[in-house]
Amino acid sequence: MFKFLKEKLKNAISSITKKVENIPIEEKVQEVIIEKTPEKKEKVVKEKQKKKAEVKEIPEKEIKEKKGFFEKIREKVQTTSINENDFEEIFYDLEVALLENNTAVEVIEKIKRDLKEVLVDKPIERKKIKTIIQDSLRNTIEDLFKVQGVDIIKLTKTKKPLTILFVGVNGSGKTSTIAKVANFLKKNNLTSVLIAADTFRAGSIQQLEEWGSRLNIKVIKHDYGSDPAAVAFDGKKYAEAHKIDVVLIDTAGRQHSNVNLIEEMKKIVRVVKPDLKIFVGESIVGNDAITQSEEFDNAIELDGIILTKSDIDEKGGASLSISYVTKKPIIFLTTGQELKDIEYFDKEKIIKNLGI
Amino acid sequence: MVLENLSSSLKDTLKKIARAMFVDEKLIDELNKEIQRALLKADVNVQLVFNLTKNIKERALKEKPPAGTTQREYLVRIVYEELVKFLGEDKEEIKITKKKPFKIMFVGLYGSGKTTSISKLAKYYSKRGYKVGSLGLDVHRPAAPDQLEQLSTQVKIPCFIDKKEKNPEKIYKKFEKEYSKFDILLIDTAGRDALSSELIKEIKSINKLIKPDENLLVINADIGQAAEKQAKTLHDAGAITGIIITKLDGTAKGGGALSACSATGAKIKFIGIGEKPEDIEEFNPKGFVSRLLGMGDLELLLEKTKDAISQEKAEDLSKKLMKGDFNFIDLYDQMEAMSKMGSLSKIMDLIPGIGGIKDKIPKDMLQVQESKLKKWKYILQSMTKKELEDPEILDSNRIKRIAKGSGTNESEVRELLKQYKQSKKMMKLMKGGSTDQKGMEKLMKKFKGKVKF
Repeated sequence: MFKFLKEKLKNAISSITKKVENIPIEEKVQEVIIEKTPEKKEKVVKEKQKKKAEVKEIPEKEIKEKKGFFEKIREKVQTTSINENDFEEIFYDLEVALLENNTAVEVIEKIKRDLKEVLVDKPIERKKIKTIIQDSLRNTIEDLFKVQGVDIIKLTKTKKPLTILFVGVNGSGKTSTIAKVANFLKKNNLTSVLIAADTFRAGSIQQLEEWGSRLNIKVIKHDYGSDPAAVAFDGKKYAEAHKIDVVLIDTAGRQHSNVNLIEEMKKIVRVVKPDLKIFVGESIVGNDAITQSEEFDNAIELDGIILTKSDIDEKGGASLSISYVTKKPIIFLTTGQELKDIEYFDKEKIIKNLGI
Repeated sequence: MVLENLSSSLKDTLKKIARAMFVDEKLIDELNKEIQRALLKADVNVQLVFNLTKNIKERALKEKPPAGTTQREYLVRIVYEELVKFLGEDKEEIKITKKKPFKIMFVGLYGSGKTTSISKLAKYYSKRGYKVGSLGLDVHRPAAPDQLEQLSTQVKIPCFIDKKEKNPEKIYKKFEKEYSKFDILLIDTAGRDALSSELIKEIKSINKLIKPDENLLVINADIGQAAEKQAKTLHDAGAITGIIITKLDGTAKGGGALSACSATGAKIKFIGIGEKPEDIEEFNPKGFVSRLLGMGDLELLLEKTKDAISQEKAEDLSKKLMKGDFNFIDLYDQMEAMSKMGSLSKIMDLIPGIGGIKDKIPKDMLQVQESKLKKWKYILQSMTKKELEDPEILDSNRIKRIAKGSGTNESEVRELLKQYKQSKKMMKLMKGGSTDQKGMEKLMKKFKGKVKF
């Protein structure tokens, strides 16, 4: 993941740096002299925005210090400034790079806003432009991932049984993920029970049973077509009676636009009152990641996210998009077909991988 | 629907064009920007988008509109043509040959909906008179054979699976003698990702052994920019001849799936639009772009009507309607046919001129209308034959009974009755030859605010 984005970002940043460096310097000595007081400065800045590119004056503080004329000229040559029009043009490369990486348009807009804040109409030292862009990008991305993580192992100490509900659109990989989580819990010496509350999709119950027998974990099931909330309820009762640590509930995949299925999901939540509601999403989803996770979050208020099929995805844009919309932590990434292919989501690692 | 949000922003831009004084570079750039934004938001490959808008701009600036066409109209036409070209021009059906069996293989990523698509196509082809069978070669995912078995039973076709065998080639050989009994054999394979060399090797050898007549790539509507690479690798492993886009009933726009078309050179054959076996549609780029630009798609509407209602029945009904004597049985038939065609909002998309209106109707209203239709069906089901044939005999006692029987309430039964009487009146008026301007106006006045569509 992120391999592709890393390269693209690098290219985009260097091209932006070049563009900024190429902004011509126009000598307008008169302006500099007028701009000695802050009030007048503001007015001039407004006029200046109309022009395409120009050198800007020194920061306010320094103006107050009333620097010598030659001093100002020197700073002028070394610093530059970007106005709105320029910004649109230079951001374009970065925008395309992010788009190619599956980052949702909304997230790109946020990155743009943040970057604009530090770049537009500010004096910038020519040599530092690269660092400034990188810093801003890193801050934005850190900001996106800045949510309290969820530690399932720790939570099992406070609540028994810990009930976890897995929801998501069709084919996102809920059942396989549950098997992986069960395996992960087993390795941490925690017992669990699997609940086949997907009573709609053909073969879903058998699929979960197959995992159960491979893992040697009990599966609670009813027939196809029965009420998923009832199955989940039974499973929770079973776990309580047998002092099992964690209840893992598999639900049917549903499109967030299907009102009835969303109501069904809400009913499961009402009946079972899960401690954690986890959205299982694909890393390869594009712009729809935003709508999907948002609608699920609106319906049942998610507690965390698991991103599947990360081994397929070289881009990683979906993780940015989903974090941005739901402001919920990404708990795990699943990275392959085997039971062991699940790992904690590590934001430090990802930022490092991005090379910024 | 594919690129649905493209639709509303495009319509707005097209309106802007209609209002513009003249077509200049600025206007074209503005239009192109709008198209770019919409397409990128719909996950279409960045490079593809830029090519498309580049073509539009070049043509719009170079080509002279033919006589009698204004430059503005011509610009709209260019957009239409380029979008159609973008989506693969003419409809290309799968031609089922006499060869027995005609082998259709399904490949794709995990969870893209291969098995579900098989059950849909099984139903689609059985309905058209072919003898269809399915073969399960997904040996990796737990319970994959069970899923295919259950779905095959649902659509009533035989299914060849071996739950214990882990080698797909052996499974294929095991049943080899059986296949020639079928017109079409639908072959399910394991989900695989392009980056796993082992799985790619497997699909290559399956391809070599089976030599499918059609090799369909099943791809999710919500896939993002990863689509291109996946499609390309699978194409290299065995030429893809067609594409099925699934899960278009969600909010995803299917733009990523379009990248798969350009990567493989294959065309979209079908689109999956729901969870049930009948939720599949043939894909026709021209009709689709028309719908996109709010021009409707009559061809598909006719196709759907044909599927839902027989020719004789339709003629019979229209005769009855014109005579003004139609009863609840006819109404019920009509409603059945409607529900076979799909949801109200899906049908409305297909009618020229209505697509634009649909945007103005709140979504809830269509849903309310739809649930009302469902209730009416229950009400009609709770009536006796006599009541169905002669709705006039419904008195308050009967209404009470019907309401109880159908789980509705009396006012809902009365509403249905009222609607029936209104439509009957309308039919009579139309039959009375008052189809001239004045008569129509009178008619409209009379029903203003009463007819609830």
